[in-house]
Amino acid sequence: MIKLDKQAKEQLISLYETKNIGLEGNILRLFDVEGDNEFEKYITKCIEEDKNTRRIRLSITKKIQSQNNELNELNEENIRILSELNETLEIVESDKLTYEVQNRELNEWKLENIRLTEELKNEMVKSEQARISAETAKENAENDLDIIQKRNQTELISIIVKVALWMIIGVGIITTLVYIITLVMDKDTQVISAAWANMFGILLTNAFSIVGTIMGIKYASKNDC
Amino acid sequence: MIESILLVDDETLFHLVFEDACSLLDISLSLKSVKSSDEAAKMFKEWYETNNTKDKPECVFVDLNLIGSAFDGIELVRKINFEYGNHVIIGIISSSNDADEQAKALQAGAQFWLVKSDEIEPRLEEFKLDYPKYLNRQQPFKVYK
Repeated sequence: MIKLDKQAKEQLISLYETKNIGLEGNILRLFDVEGDNEFEKYITKCIEEDKNTRRIRLSITKKIQSQNNELNELNEENIRILSELNETLEIVESDKLTYEVQNRELNEWKLENIRLTEELKNEMVKSEQARISAETAKENAENDLDIIQKRNQTELISIIVKVALWMIIGVGIITTLVYIITLVMDKDTQVISAAWANMFGILLTNAFSIVGTIMGIKYASKNDC
Repeated sequence: MIESILLVDDETLFHLVFEDACSLLDISLSLKSVKSSDEAAKMFKEWYETNNTKDKPECVFVDLNLIGSAFDGIELVRKINFEYGNHVIIGIISSSNDADEQAKALQAGAQFWLVKSDEIEPRLEEFKLDYPKYLNRQQPFKVYK
């Protein structure tokens, strides 16, 4: 404990009474008042004022501490929000890149699709042209076949007619020779002459008919070719 | 009344709160505050090595999370108890009331856990009442919440 002499005590009390300056802090608890009522009262007052001051300071400090904590919490919240915002931005950026890539792919697909459509159209046109060509070729082939058939028929008819003509000529020559022989040998020519005349008439008629047929066939063949 | 207290807390404002609360409650005559566990460990190491107990506190309050320190409050308690001699009443003062952390603190040799909040005075008052039992090593680990 701290002991003060009377003069020091009086000086401290006087300082407090005149200028309101008193001792502060834990040192006040260390003074030995030694039965001095006035000094004891002074110490009590000082302790009381010190406590009041500390109480006020404690209250203010607590308020500041509380505000600091709130500010720290707000700061943490801000940091958290900022972090979330950054994460969201990163996600958006990532999504944007993905969409751009997808968009590019879609455009590429679209262009490919247009190209394929064009190719398909061209192929369809070619196909149509090929179909028309095929149909034309088919018609031509049919026509050719028809012509060949007609030509064959014409040739056959021509052969038949020629054979017939040659037969007529042959029959005519033979009949004529028989008639000539009969005349030369001075035999009865009545029958043979009648037959020859009839035959010759018929043969000429038929010959003209056959020649006419041949001419007709030739004309028809010319037109067909 | 506690002879002397050492407060280890990284928050300077809490130094003022703790000092004023202790003074108002007549808990201690002498109070020293430091901001880091490194600083406190250095002081205890020096007291241990020089065997000088002149300035050594009687009771130590250590914050659990000490920002800017090499190790946390529980490690400091362990160091003070097991490396620099166990001659002080030591405990944790923290805003946390986590049972796992309290168990760790007990294992490290902490004698109490005082929950730090706006209204710290009632807890300090209760601690003040229990303090003689701490001095006699009769008080089991206690959480002031």
